[in-house]
Amino acid sequence: MTSDVNTDLRRRLEEAEETLRAIREGEIDALVIRRAQSDEVFTLEGGDSYRSFMEAMTLGAAALDASLKLLYANKALCEILDCSSEQLHSGGLFAALDAQSGRILAALAEAAVAGQCTAEIHVVGEGRDRHLLASAAPLRLGLTSGVAITFTDLTERVRATAAEAAEKASRAVIASANEAMVVCDGAGTITHANPAAEEIRDQALVGRGFEEAFPLMFADGIAFRSAADLLALAAEGQSVRGVEAALKDAPKVKDVLISAAPLVMGGESSKGVVVTLIDLSERKAAERQQQLLMGELDHRVRNTLALVLSISTLTGYNAKTVEDFQRAFVGRIEALAATHTLLAGKAWSGLSIEDVVIAELAPYVSRDAGRLDISGLKVTVAPQAAVALGLVFHELVTNAVKYGALSVQEGRIRIEGRPSAGGRTLEIVWTESGGPPVLPPTRLGFGRTVITKSLAYSDGGADIRFEPSGVVCSIRVPNVELGTADPTP
Amino acid sequence: MSSDPLKLVLYVAGQTPKSLAAIKNLRQICETHLNGKYAVEVIDLREHPHLAREHNIVAIPTLVRQLPVPIRKIIGDLSDSEKVLVHLRMGDSE
Repeated sequence: MTSDVNTDLRRRLEEAEETLRAIREGEIDALVIRRAQSDEVFTLEGGDSYRSFMEAMTLGAAALDASLKLLYANKALCEILDCSSEQLHSGGLFAALDAQSGRILAALAEAAVAGQCTAEIHVVGEGRDRHLLASAAPLRLGLTSGVAITFTDLTERVRATAAEAAEKASRAVIASANEAMVVCDGAGTITHANPAAEEIRDQALVGRGFEEAFPLMFADGIAFRSAADLLALAAEGQSVRGVEAALKDAPKVKDVLISAAPLVMGGESSKGVVVTLIDLSERKAAERQQQLLMGELDHRVRNTLALVLSISTLTGYNAKTVEDFQRAFVGRIEALAATHTLLAGKAWSGLSIEDVVIAELAPYVSRDAGRLDISGLKVTVAPQAAVALGLVFHELVTNAVKYGALSVQEGRIRIEGRPSAGGRTLEIVWTESGGPPVLPPTRLGFGRTVITKSLAYSDGGADIRFEPSGVVCSIRVPNVELGTADPTP
Repeated sequence: MSSDPLKLVLYVAGQTPKSLAAIKNLRQICETHLNGKYAVEVIDLREHPHLAREHNIVAIPTLVRQLPVPIRKIIGDLSDSEKVLVHLRMGDSE
């Protein structure tokens, strides 16, 4: 729109300048004077004919004699300078301007004696600044010479050019912004939308109603209920900052942080609203994940405390002395801690059964010592089952150290994992050999309770046999607790 | 220059010297340079002053290139034939 105005103004300016040139060069000898009722053709004859012509012009025009004294100023110029013809004649043309513009115009008139020249000046008239292009040229006035000056009002053109530049700049700013930005007019229709905004809705937005394009839902306790309320508030001049809202039926972005501000242009009152939307989907997802993790942590802490309480009670029940209790209790809590450390190191996921076994056996026997033979355990296991397995292997290894294969130099342990016959569990077989002859224990201690009961759910469980050649324990881990094979060697 | 014929309107004011000069100069330019691809209408604004409004005519004589668009105005007695030809040919591809 502004470029059309510019083109029109430019064309009119060229036409006016061409008219003036034709007058100065004596190429015309008649003019059309526009009257309210009808137009009249006026033939230029006689010495004062230039006056009639100047009056017919819509441009401001003045004729000066050779000493640059004002001979005549037309009505259009009086209007531009906001003074009467009499005031101009008594004070002079240059004095009607401010000091700086007066000097520029005087210098221009002086230079025009030698040839046509132009300069831009500013005048204050009709309560606003005007940009004028003053064009001066030598003028033949009968037998004498003088200077003709015309004043073209460039105010609209300058303003249109500035508005065009500002429009371009603001479009560039909106388009370059990382945040989604839309501009709405007073009726709530989207007039500008940057690529980030169109990405939110995955479609073109300009021309659509904001409320229809962004069906916002606000949380309880927010002052407005819909997008229309938000726009109305901003249009009244009130800025709305950082309000969380959800988008109904959104293809991609579900949650946004929305701000709205009145659009003020050129000091005028609000013409529309600028809305920015920040995608909160990731933050919301992270918050939900955090909530979930906090709930899970709370649950695990409670479980762990219950487990510690149970270990304490049962260890106390079986211990003969305080030292016995202390040793057994500390060992079991350390076993629990070892599994927890492993789990924490892998953010409670992706822990393999082999990791658990090696961590529990590490205080007693190194895998490199040639006394351990581990196979088929590179399978990931759920955290709860990992804790249970940690306790089971702790009991098995401490028994082996006290009474079994690890109580002598020659003893060995084989731990082998394989799918069970029915395929619903992983069977881990702990087989001791090379140790002293084994006799079945006379009573059921806490260790055996832990071993046999820890995984006794949904096809899981454990059996322990006290073969003379060594303890053989078969542990069944339900498939539901297992993940994929651990890819790490 | 486009091969479409030019449609020209010359606004004059009766028998003023510049009006007569413009008619004479235009005829000469057309015959010499335009190879018959033109149509000229001469409007005497002294007889029909209301017709000045159609092309917003202020000064006389004025030649208006009505076709091809955009409309162009050449003000004066058309004595500079080179300038007239430049104006008649410019911008007809806009």
